[in-house]
Amino acid sequence: MALRRLLLRYFPPGIILEYVEGGESKTRSIDLLDLRPDTDVTALVEEIQKREPLITASCLEHITHLVQRLQEKLGEKQNHKFSLFKVLRTHILPLTNVAFNKSGSRFITGSYDRTCKLWDTASGEELHSLEGHRNVVYAIAFNNPYGDKIATGSFDKTCKVWSTETGKCYHTFRGHSAEIVCLSFNPQSTLLATGSMDTTAKLWDLEKGEEVASLNGHSAEIIALSFNTTGDRIITGSFDHTVAVWDVGTGRLLHTLIGHRGEISSAQFNWDCSLIVTGSMDKTCMLWDAVTGTHIATLAGHSKEVLDVCFDYAGQRIATASADGSARVYNAGTKQCIAKLEGHEDEISKVCFNPKGNCILTASSDKTARLWDAATGHCLQVLEGHADEIFSCAFNYRGDTIITGSKDNSCRIWH
Amino acid sequence: MGLLSILRKLKSTPDQEVRILLLGLDNAGKTTLLKQLASEDISHITPTQGFNIKSVQSQGFKLNVWDIGGQRKIRPYWRNYFENTDILIYVIDSADRKRFEETGQELAELLDEEKLSGVPVLIFANKQDLLTAAPASEIAEGLNLHTIRDRVWQIQSCSALSGEGVQDGMNWVCKNVSTKKK
Repeated sequence: MALRRLLLRYFPPGIILEYVEGGESKTRSIDLLDLRPDTDVTALVEEIQKREPLITASCLEHITHLVQRLQEKLGEKQNHKFSLFKVLRTHILPLTNVAFNKSGSRFITGSYDRTCKLWDTASGEELHSLEGHRNVVYAIAFNNPYGDKIATGSFDKTCKVWSTETGKCYHTFRGHSAEIVCLSFNPQSTLLATGSMDTTAKLWDLEKGEEVASLNGHSAEIIALSFNTTGDRIITGSFDHTVAVWDVGTGRLLHTLIGHRGEISSAQFNWDCSLIVTGSMDKTCMLWDAVTGTHIATLAGHSKEVLDVCFDYAGQRIATASADGSARVYNAGTKQCIAKLEGHEDEISKVCFNPKGNCILTASSDKTARLWDAATGHCLQVLEGHADEIFSCAFNYRGDTIITGSKDNSCRIWH
Repeated sequence: MGLLSILRKLKSTPDQEVRILLLGLDNAGKTTLLKQLASEDISHITPTQGFNIKSVQSQGFKLNVWDIGGQRKIRPYWRNYFENTDILIYVIDSADRKRFEETGQELAELLDEEKLSGVPVLIFANKQDLLTAAPASEIAEGLNLHTIRDRVWQIQSCSALSGEGVQDGMNWVCKNVSTKKK
């Protein structure tokens, strides 16, 4: 094995090793999820050297430099105030979901008008309107980090895969017998997973354009799914109150996470694939061991349904959004609630961290999106202007651009 | 309401929940009717660009009412909402005689939709508070409602503004839901 080069990954903090083994170029990462601006660099570099045989004495200086750059990034003060950049009004019916590509140069919006539109972030120009679905386009995704493909899942029971460049449809996947409401590419971008109101999830081979597995086991609608970082596991969240963990290679059910007393609203892995977080209509959020499927903790506190949950990129914190109009931040390690985000005047349907993890974005039925300090829970900014409920929101990777999708048929870009 | 709540209302509903689709031309008074049903303020209503959903309790039922915008350019999207419909309510502006033909045509097309086949239909002859409003009997005749034989139907005159006649219509809805659901 010979190390070829070292690459930086800002979010979550890490160093990517590019090396040659048996004539083949490979990569692996050193995750530095606990890195802080004040971490002792010398001690950390020593530890990395002990842990990683590819890191020899000759590259220690380089590693030290990279760690310092990551620390600088984490320590950067962000006083960025967002303001409205553009209102995009070419959808003629309410929007559903929105998503950025990895670099944030482009984003997509799904709509009740049966289209998905591709936009240039810098200009706000519409690049393509992806047309062909016969009903609401609900679930949308880029195959990040590549971003050359877009998947759309529709109430018409089909899923389509499109070329980002040309806007042409590569595949239409048929097989579900009810609305498709969630989907995701695997991290390698070889598979697409779709979840449906027909109670099944399916895995589709993107090259062959065919179904490779049907994940049968839930007794009610599947409304959330998520791959882990390595792509060998997928979880599905269902209205049957459970979350299922599946082996991607075989399509076999590995665990069923039983404990919630209401419909699941959201489910996600943390970055290192050790934990699963789930949100439910039973007003709680639960943490599970991703390997054994055992229940670790119940994060209670909300007085109404938990509508969305997420980890930050490093997996250190969890944010929950609730119909009670508040959001909460929990420490994933101690399971303690660190902050309550109070101020919205109606239910919060979406919550996400910025990639750096210091800031939280919430979207609400009160027609506003709000930005919060993830550590203190202080409201940093209220993004006002939408004329109706905000259904979806997203940060770009750099954390300096936000998009919001609303029932008022518009999408707004905030800089 | 949020996207997730919409998904919850999308699934085929348990016995005591009823999915009602509220359609009609633009300016027929669908949103006013919806707000009247939910006992909400009706003084500031603007054309619906998408849809509104409200749940109201009536006679032991939870009525999930979907009010869909009626402007011409978004009428082709009405079919987005047909799935699992228990009752169709079609609203007509009884004072807008110029558009009786247009509204009759839209209704006829709805009644031909496979996904709405057999679904009971209530026609509200709305805006009876206006002096120029045509009576329900005249509208029924103009729209050839008596030729509807594949489902139960009813025409009810009402004023969404004052609320008059609205409850009578909803009573018919509950009566016909109960026969269908049980």
